[in-house]
Amino acid sequence: MAAKQQAKARGGQQRTQGGGMRWIMMLAVTAAVPFSLPTILLLFVGLLPTLVAALVDRGPNRYAWLCVGGLNLSGVAPFLFGLWFSGHSMSAALDILFDVFPLIVMYGSAAIGWLLYRAMPPVVGALLALRAQRRVTVLRNEQRRLVEAWGEDVAEEEVG
Amino acid sequence: MQEDANAGGTVVLRDRYYIHAGSPLPDLDTPSAQAFVVEDRRDSARLLYALICRPDLPPRVNVMRALKGVQNPGLQTLVEWGVVPWAPVGRNCMAVVYERPMGGRVMTSLTAEIKRVEEHEVTRRMLTPIIGALRELNSRAVTHRAIRPTNMYYMDADRERIVLGDCVTAPPAYDQPLLFEPVESGMSLPFGRGSGNYGDDLYALGASLVLLLLGRNPVAHLTDEQLLKQKIVYGSYVALVGDQRLPISMIELLRGVLCDDPHERWKLDSLDLWLSGRRLSPLQTKLEKRTQRAFVFNGKEYSTSRELAMAFVRRWDDAIPLVLEGKLEIWMRRAIEDKERADQIAAAVRNAAGSPGDRRIALDVMLARVCILLDPLAPIRYKGLAMMPDGFGSALAVLMSQQSSDIRLFTEMIQREIPKLWFETRAAYDPDHSVMQSSFRDLKEQLVRPGLGFGLERCLYEMNEALACQSPLIAQDYVVEIRDLLPALNNAAKRADGKTLPVDRHVAAFIVARFKYDLEKALTVLNEDTPDRQLVGMLSLLALLQWRLGPETLFGLTSWIGGLTGPIIASFHSRETRRMLEREIPRLVRKGSLIELFRLLDNTEERQKDEYGFQQARAQYAAASAEISELDSSGEERDAFALRVGQQTAALTSVLIALATMSILVIMKVW
Repeated sequence: MAAKQQAKARGGQQRTQGGGMRWIMMLAVTAAVPFSLPTILLLFVGLLPTLVAALVDRGPNRYAWLCVGGLNLSGVAPFLFGLWFSGHSMSAALDILFDVFPLIVMYGSAAIGWLLYRAMPPVVGALLALRAQRRVTVLRNEQRRLVEAWGEDVAEEEVG
Repeated sequence: MQEDANAGGTVVLRDRYYIHAGSPLPDLDTPSAQAFVVEDRRDSARLLYALICRPDLPPRVNVMRALKGVQNPGLQTLVEWGVVPWAPVGRNCMAVVYERPMGGRVMTSLTAEIKRVEEHEVTRRMLTPIIGALRELNSRAVTHRAIRPTNMYYMDADRERIVLGDCVTAPPAYDQPLLFEPVESGMSLPFGRGSGNYGDDLYALGASLVLLLLGRNPVAHLTDEQLLKQKIVYGSYVALVGDQRLPISMIELLRGVLCDDPHERWKLDSLDLWLSGRRLSPLQTKLEKRTQRAFVFNGKEYSTSRELAMAFVRRWDDAIPLVLEGKLEIWMRRAIEDKERADQIAAAVRNAAGSPGDRRIALDVMLARVCILLDPLAPIRYKGLAMMPDGFGSALAVLMSQQSSDIRLFTEMIQREIPKLWFETRAAYDPDHSVMQSSFRDLKEQLVRPGLGFGLERCLYEMNEALACQSPLIAQDYVVEIRDLLPALNNAAKRADGKTLPVDRHVAAFIVARFKYDLEKALTVLNEDTPDRQLVGMLSLLALLQWRLGPETLFGLTSWIGGLTGPIIASFHSRETRRMLEREIPRLVRKGSLIELFRLLDNTEERQKDEYGFQQARAQYAAASAEISELDSSGEERDAFALRVGQQTAALTSVLIALATMSILVIMKVW
């Protein structure tokens, strides 16, 4: 009972610590919004596919947002760096967002990430199946060799 | 076997005695053997003849061994004996070589009339030499059991000396007419009379004397049954002599040797006293008490228990209800006035009634016991069989050679311990009976065991120490000695079907009975269920024989067995071992060694290695099967795994591309 109470107390303490950190980060981000609004706008619009992927992924592993997010970020990053190194203004951010090419690059890279997410499991599956097939062939050859050396009886189940 | 077949119908026995199959001597034939001229290679002037035994009868080899070379004035000299290839019957036969009598047979047939032998001549020409012969037999612990005028010969041309003829070519007393057998032995079947005792020989001598003194057979007109009845009712002396006139001096002798009570009957010492001139008071015939009130059975009246027992044996099934009803007990108590036997009969009936087992068996045993109680001196009788205890061996040999249906009765007798009932009713202790009783116990044990080396065949060879092996494979080789078995089987290989096993029930039983060596292990293997183990057991038995008794090479037999080793080879799992054995067996066959063949096929180390390797292989096979099955059946798991790993790989690739892009951009902007 005492141990249970102690564990409960520890769990509560961790939750309190985690919740505190989250609050600190949210406060820091909220405080940075007035100074980095163009970046936030660009990231929000640019990383919209990642957000969508995170929301629609109901799979057990939830890797979709990472796949889409990684390549989506790669597509957003050149324009983000351009924004940062060209004055970091709302007008520059809006110029980027109203241009088709950056949007194609950002959403295209996200699409590639999605394709990667969809294509990789079948590829891995095919590789695993191939490996299993080869293993079965090896085992069957081994069994054939045993039958040749010891006769058909070797394949019989031992009784008792 | 030391004999060789020769061309022109002549065979040679032990490299010395030429037996001419083309020169028969019908005058010297016996009921069970044919006579042929014999020529002695070392002494052509010597007159000899050979008796060729019937192959279906067991000759008395123990008596041959005892009498070979014995020179006695009252005995025909048995010169040699042995097995010879006998073309007329197309097989080997036992041959016994005797000195040829010059004066012919004393009586050519029992119905013939001869010149009466005078009283004073009888003693000189017949009794003196024959009593000497019986004394000789006595000293060698054998009985003759074939004393009759038709088996007596004048050894010299002047017909001065009478000798006893052959007694070894047939089972004891097998050829004896009932006339020459005491009542008890006469009640027995001819093949079951047994070796008997010297009293039986003296009885036969007495009966023969009657015929010689009268010059004819006084009871030739009687059937065996009538004669037996007369012997029982009037006593042997009266039955044989009747109102015939005999020399007074002979009456005392004849009454003595023809006495029906075996204990009262004269012995050799009494005969010696008589020969030396001392006259004893003649024995009076003691007959069984005849009752006033006869026992009626099957419409006939019986006044003595011996006659009644005989009738019971003849009508076995009809007798049982009468005994069960208690009529016999009452008759025994009131008419015979023997309370003790009446009580024993009542006890036998009670035991049968209260027996928990098969009622039919219990009733048969009861009647056998009752018959023994009614006539304790009679042979052991059971349904149609009647045999003296020492006649069981020859009886079984004859029954088996004739393939008689009575073998079943014989088996029942042993299994139901009928001989034990007989021994239990003996009035006095006899050490011989104890030995026989123990033998019957052993026989019962052997009989009930079903495998090779046991059963009726084992009983046959245990009870007949000199009986040739009766296996159809080697019967024609007449194998009496165990050391002749393997050469005979080696010869049999030429004519036997290659698929037949060289060890059948007879061969196995013959080996076990004759080869005094511990064979229990080999027999156990021989009687296992699987053919490969049976073959190993058989090979073990034969290899042991070759090892202990030779010969060194047995090409035919080794080849025969080599062709049968398929199941043994197949019992090895390893194909490599099988190939090795298939290569090695022909090599060992060419060496003719059963011992090496056995060592090759029953190599314990190789067998263990094979079994261990097989178990390992089987485990490997099972593990592979399990893995294959797992691989075949794990599609869904593999898909789930592939999904997880694929997504992880995609995520990792995506993150790495993002990091690389960021790094390149940072580097580009900074520089």
